[in-house]
Amino acid sequence: MRAYLRHPFWQAVGLFVLAYLVIVFVIPMLPGSAMVPSSVVLQYMATVLVGILIWVSDDEARWTTFKEPLHEVLIQPRLKLVRNGLLAAVTLVVGCLTYSQVKASVAAPPNLRSIHPAPPSQITFRGKTITLVGLENPLRKQGELAPHVAEGRRIYYQNCVPCHGDHLDGQGHFASGFNPLPANFQDNGTIAQLTESFVFWRIAKGGPGLPREGTPWNSAMPAWEDFLTEDEIWSVVLFLYDQTGWKPRTWEVTAK
Amino acid sequence: MRGRGTGEGGRVMRASVAIAALFVFVFALPVPLPASPFPQDTSAGKAVYQKWCAGCHGDNGAGDGPGAKHMIPPPRDFTGAIYQIRSTPSGQLPTDADLLRSIDEGLFGTAMPGWKTRLSDRQRRDVLAYIKTFSSFFADTTQRPQPIAYGSAPGGGGGAEALKVGRQFYDSIGCRKCHGDQGRGDGPSAPTLKDDAGHPIFAANLHENWRFNGGGTVEDIYHRLRTGLDGTPMPSFSDLLEQKFLTDEQLWRVAQYVRSLSPQEPPVVRDVVHVPLAKRLPHSPDDSAWTAVDVYWFPLVGQIIHKERWFAPAVTGVWVKAVHTADSIALRVTWDDRSASPDTSWLPFIGRVLNTLDSDDSTREQPAPWPDQLAVQFPVTIPSGMERPYFLMGSAGAPVYQWRWSSSSRTAAVAGLARGIDRFDPLGAAAGIPTQAVYDHGQWRVVFTRALASADTASQLPFRSGRAIPVAFFAWDGSNGEHGTRMAISTWYFLALDEPVPARVFISPVLAMVLTLGLGMLVVWRAQQKTSYRKGRQ
Amino acid sequence: MTGRIFNVVGAMFLLTVCSKGSQSNAAPAAPPPAPAAASDLAAAGGTITGKIKFTGTAPRNPAIDMSEEAACKAKYTTTPTEENVVAGPANALANVFVYVKSGLPAGQTFPAPATPVVLDQNGCRYHPHILGVMVGQNLEIKNSDPVLHNIKAIAKKNRPFNVSQPNAGMTKTVTFSQPEVMVNLECNVHGWMHAYAGVRSDPFFAVSQQDGSFTISGLPPGTYTIEAWHEKFGTQTATVTIAGTESKTANFTFAAH
Repeated sequence: MRAYLRHPFWQAVGLFVLAYLVIVFVIPMLPGSAMVPSSVVLQYMATVLVGILIWVSDDEARWTTFKEPLHEVLIQPRLKLVRNGLLAAVTLVVGCLTYSQVKASVAAPPNLRSIHPAPPSQITFRGKTITLVGLENPLRKQGELAPHVAEGRRIYYQNCVPCHGDHLDGQGHFASGFNPLPANFQDNGTIAQLTESFVFWRIAKGGPGLPREGTPWNSAMPAWEDFLTEDEIWSVVLFLYDQTGWKPRTWEVTAK
Repeated sequence: MRGRGTGEGGRVMRASVAIAALFVFVFALPVPLPASPFPQDTSAGKAVYQKWCAGCHGDNGAGDGPGAKHMIPPPRDFTGAIYQIRSTPSGQLPTDADLLRSIDEGLFGTAMPGWKTRLSDRQRRDVLAYIKTFSSFFADTTQRPQPIAYGSAPGGGGGAEALKVGRQFYDSIGCRKCHGDQGRGDGPSAPTLKDDAGHPIFAANLHENWRFNGGGTVEDIYHRLRTGLDGTPMPSFSDLLEQKFLTDEQLWRVAQYVRSLSPQEPPVVRDVVHVPLAKRLPHSPDDSAWTAVDVYWFPLVGQIIHKERWFAPAVTGVWVKAVHTADSIALRVTWDDRSASPDTSWLPFIGRVLNTLDSDDSTREQPAPWPDQLAVQFPVTIPSGMERPYFLMGSAGAPVYQWRWSSSSRTAAVAGLARGIDRFDPLGAAAGIPTQAVYDHGQWRVVFTRALASADTASQLPFRSGRAIPVAFFAWDGSNGEHGTRMAISTWYFLALDEPVPARVFISPVLAMVLTLGLGMLVVWRAQQKTSYRKGRQ
Repeated sequence: MTGRIFNVVGAMFLLTVCSKGSQSNAAPAAPPPAPAAASDLAAAGGTITGKIKFTGTAPRNPAIDMSEEAACKAKYTTTPTEENVVAGPANALANVFVYVKSGLPAGQTFPAPATPVVLDQNGCRYHPHILGVMVGQNLEIKNSDPVLHNIKAIAKKNRPFNVSQPNAGMTKTVTFSQPEVMVNLECNVHGWMHAYAGVRSDPFFAVSQQDGSFTISGLPPGTYTIEAWHEKFGTQTATVTIAGTESKTANFTFAAH
């Protein structure tokens, strides 16, 4: 047993298995983390494999010892059973993989979608032209912020919660019915990356107002100009940033 | 604004952070962990409450926040200290652990999410302490909630004999009065049900255990039977044990029977419905040919995109099966619905639903005996790229082809073009889709049949095999006040009609296997050659 | 076991704030009169009697469709109706809960009678439909029907409960810990089944009879606000002053709507 523990080959195998167990079972148990998707597991395992190979090949003697069991399997007459078993197993796996690849199977068409498509320079809001470039949230200059945030909170809970959720994480009770999933404002990839004018545009025009690369035919985001006034939308924008703690991106002075 | 791509990105991000955290954790292990449990701090809890809870539950905990009139069931009113999910007998307060569980896990099938991963341990304990300040009952130190002592489930729960016993007592203790003969929440008393505040409440559909407020395991169900769901019509059945009308084992059998009505695992959405090729088309919903066909589940949610929005849909999803022959297709859509509408006995219930919800409409609508409806939607032609019409009933410029079935004319669905949610142009009687429908104990099963080819290829989708055909579903429960734009909707999914299996499907794997085996043998042979060569030189 | 649940509930009565109507909430500091005194008063005090009537036309009580419950239906020869408005001859109004809303000396406590009040579920209706019960007094709820009833109490000052009685012969004993007018009792299996319990911390209450009459006796001298409560017609109040062992009259007239 101890000989196995010292042997670089079995150490490598052990490390590999351990890494897999950690990624698949331990990480999801950590607070604040989720199930690791299989594509990511594959990436991690590839990284781990490369790391292990670098480690075993780093030292000539270790590399030689590492290769030994592999070589043994290939040539030792007493390991004939193992050798043939491995050959058969690999062959079968390849057969199955090939079958699953060529089997006629119609997949859903790829859903290539631009998450933050380029906004237009101006939009028409209920007949009024609004220039988005350089546009700031006007409510930030209208006295106390708190009443505007409170108004935004009311509007959010009356309209946005079913999809975007109480935690603003896109996991409202209707979220699972839609594809694409509703935006997660807690994620650093959404409003944290955007100017308030962009967020205003997305709320005002919704899914139907997306350019083609945003797959407007799939988005369940309503065009809120049908429901809310300009100021109401701006107050929701304020609330989104206030509640999540993100700061909106600002326009460079030169952009004006 | 964000697709599934970023969702994954977010998870990758979290996973990376988690790995980093793991390393830190491993290296920092000798440091003792902070003492637990935390003391509860109601003033810190108030801050958490006002930020995350007041939007629905209201600043004063009365369940009247701005979001309250946009959901059924409505948010809990904390001022009465009446809680559904408890470990304590009916009428008692919940324990802290009970409340924490509801905060942590949320209440399934409602708008209440789980906060375990969203707030820290400390925040959740603090907010729990604060929620208790809304009712004077909690301030009374003589109120010591005593959890009911539960045994564990008797074995053999999944066996036919146990389920038979469970079913027997399901009937004899009257579960069917509300939950219905088959457990779909369609019992004779179902239309009369309301909660303490007079809001409408559905008897749970026992076939959807993933939506049971307090959890869907056998233990959860048994606990609910023992404690009842205070504030709702669901009573406690503990007295039956105490007065020896029922043994504990028999009550467990009821729980096991109820559990057996739902699938082992909650249904998982698979985007593409595979439509096998059959020799014969099953026209009837209960044709035995359907049993061999794979079933797909699609969730439906409220139409909250267009005026008039609908925040409380009754149909939670559809189960879909489809087969085709060389020239025709049959699509069977199954969904649970507590009544075969129009049903006037549900009119008061509709009234309560309309009263509970805020409406986009300034005038409150009067209840009417609306029918149940289902629409199946396709594009007018199979799209070649990824572009397709707007999922919510198309648009003026890009219509969709729909089959609209109504319980008021069960034998045919109207085919037509929808050009947006409020415009549907029927294509005429000749284009109608023959349907066969049954309503069976809280469930509709409707089979739509049509020829693959169509007379008018520009407006009536010609079905072709080997292509992903976008499909979407819409459902209306008339007895929940649903009609017009008030409905449950799905996003786009796909149908894929199987083609006859070509020979290459079997040849390629064989070729690959031969090659692999040959290569493997070559490697072995080479290695052995080298070794014997070396041995020979020695 | 059932007793235990409600003993716990009962114990809470000391602390819960009682917001309206009841001045009789026990203040532990005040010297309570000897328990015997209350019964003496009952024998020797003043009496309030009265008749309750209504003006207008009483709404028709809806017929109950018991087709789902053959066992209950069989107990009737004619179609049973709900008991929302029970009218006697000459517009007399029965099922009105009359009680002393205020005027009893603060701090005076009254022992709960040892005999329970019985609420029977028979023929898928509650008997009686309106009842009064004292804080701490047992309310015995029994099922005389071989069908499932659940008995649910909707209360604000008392803890609510909801228990099932699927078999004839089942009983449930509960007590209430706070005065509350009224605690609603209902069966959700049979949406027409409603009963109302007036919970008082004194024995000075009555339910009007078929002829609209009621009697509250044993009242100590004092000036009282008497309230009459009807489930459909709301409440009426009257002020009555009692001196010695006299008998006073308080009549109430509700407007039917």
